[in-house]
Formats: sequence, C-alpha cells, structure tokens
Amino acid sequence: MFLLAVSHWLARTHLGIFMRDSSYAFPAVEIVHLLSLALFGGSILLVDLRFLNLGFKTQSASRVARELLPITLGGVIAMSISGLLMYAGGPMRYYHNPAFQLKMVLFVIALVGHFTLQIAVALRTFEGVKEGFVKAGAVASLVLWFSIGFAGRVIGYV
Amino acid sequence: MPTLQHICEWIYTTHLSTSIRQSPYSFPAIETVHTLGIAGVVGTIAILDLRLLGVVMKKEPVSHIARQVLPWTWAGFVVMFVTGLLLAIAESQTDYFNWAFRIKMVLLLLVGINPLIFHLTIYRKVNTWDIASVTPLRARLAAVSSLILWASIIVFGRLIAYVNT
Repeated sequence: MFLLAVSHWLARTHLGIFMRDSSYAFPAVEIVHLLSLALFGGSILLVDLRFLNLGFKTQSASRVARELLPITLGGVIAMSISGLLMYAGGPMRYYHNPAFQLKMVLFVIALVGHFTLQIAVALRTFEGVKEGFVKAGAVASLVLWFSIGFAGRVIGYV
Repeated sequence: MPTLQHICEWIYTTHLSTSIRQSPYSFPAIETVHTLGIAGVVGTIAILDLRLLGVVMKKEPVSHIARQVLPWTWAGFVVMFVTGLLLAIAESQTDYFNWAFRIKMVLLLLVGINPLIFHLTIYRKVNTWDIASVTPLRARLAAVSSLILWASIIVFGRLIAYVNT
C-alpha cells in the first residue's frame, strides 16, 4: 500500500518525531489549523452565498470568486499543512480511523469540486452556462465543507 | 464562596447541564456546530477587516462590503452564542476555574466593544472615505484589533480543553 508506506515514512521523519514527542507541538498546530479554518470557512461561505445570489450582490459572482480566491486558496493550503503536521505525529492513530478516512475522501472531492467551480467562475468560463449549474455546485460545496468539518471533529471521538 | 461560583455550581446541577454531560453525542455535536459558527463569524468579519486594511476588494466601497457581510456575521454569531452558552452550561463548574475560559470571556467583551467604538466614531463619516483603498488610521486600527482579538478568542477557546482544572 503506497499510502501506508508514505505514512510510516512520515512518522519516522524529524518532523514526525518532533510532532510526536513535543507536548506543545500538537496543540499549537491544532490552533493554527482552527485559525485557518475560521478564515477559510468564512470566505468559502461568502463565495458560495454569492453563487447562490444570497450575498455580495453588489459585485458580480466572477469578481467575488476572483477577489476571494487568495483567501480561500491560502486558507486551504494553511489547513493542509497544519493537518499534515498533526497526521505526521502519529499516522497510525488516523490511518484506520473511519472518521478520518471519510474526511479525506470528502476533502479530495470538495477540493477539486469547489476550486474548479471558483476558478471557472473567476475566469468567466461559465458565461452563458445556466445559472442553476453554478448554484448546484455552490450547494454541493457548502454541504461537503460542512461534512468535512463534522467528520474532522468526530476523529477525536472515534 | 463567591456569588458567581455559587451560580455556576447551581447551573451545573440543572437538568439541561446534566443531560448534555450524560449524552455521549451532545457535547461533541454542539462543539462542532460551535466551531463552524465561529468560522462563520470570524471568516466573514475578517473579509471586512481585510477590506479596511486594503488587502481584498480594494475597489469596492467599504459600506457595501459591511452591508453584505454583516448579516451573515450576525447569523454566525447567534449560532456561536447559543452553542457556546450550552457548552458553558454543561461545564459551568469546571469552566469557572479554567483560566483559558476566563481570558476568553474578557476577550469576548473587548471584541464587542471594538465594533461599538468603530460604528459610533469613524464609521459615521464613512461616506468621506468609503471608496478609499487605504482607509483612515482609526479604521485600520479597528480592523487590526478585530483580527487580533478574534484570533486570540480562537486560541483561548481551544486552550479551554487543554487546561486541567
């Protein structure tokens, strides 16, 4: 298994050992993960609400998608890095955790789906395409990110 | 025994408090909604703060952003407040002694005063600087305080669970 091999390797790196042995590293990285979540979650919400015509109506959807892209993208990068650090501290705690597995599957779908949509709208690729398509995408994005949040919290309780 | 401690101990014995503690799902479920509520509040207010600092949406009038973003910030605030209250009710007895919880409560008070000052002072004259990409110093100070205070609230909120009381 490729992922299993990578996880074992990650646990043996300096970073993995540091994350495992330091008593402050995990809480600190977890807080960074939550701080990024706040910025990321709010900006994702605003982008999707604009696609649903429920917010930011003074600006075009493509403008909002473009202006907030550095924040949504920066947020997801910060969350991925902090998430990877937490994982590196004890991959086997997460590897077999069903909540973690679900979170990762949903994350990949949301990551590809949401950012394809946001970038496409930002670049006006969908000009002329039915508005309903973008709206359906925004609903899917919101449902997915919410589920990822829930699954993420459940990891600690499984 | 201080009155507040007395009240916290009484809350701890109420039906609501014990039922949240006794259910294996209530606390984690409320906690998750609380976290997502915070993301709704902080993420949306951060966009306004970043506009005041001239980082995002520089060409959009500040008042437009405020009018569109703040209703969603308030919606998130209601979710955050109700769920936060339930969590505090469930753990009132231990939260009372928790230093991270105490700091968080003070920070919440400060983060409420900040927009109050902002709206009563510099924002009143927003029509004179609405389209400025660089806003007046006092508006930028309000934005920086808001970002720092909310970030600290998240930090101390998370620390509540790590502090042993």
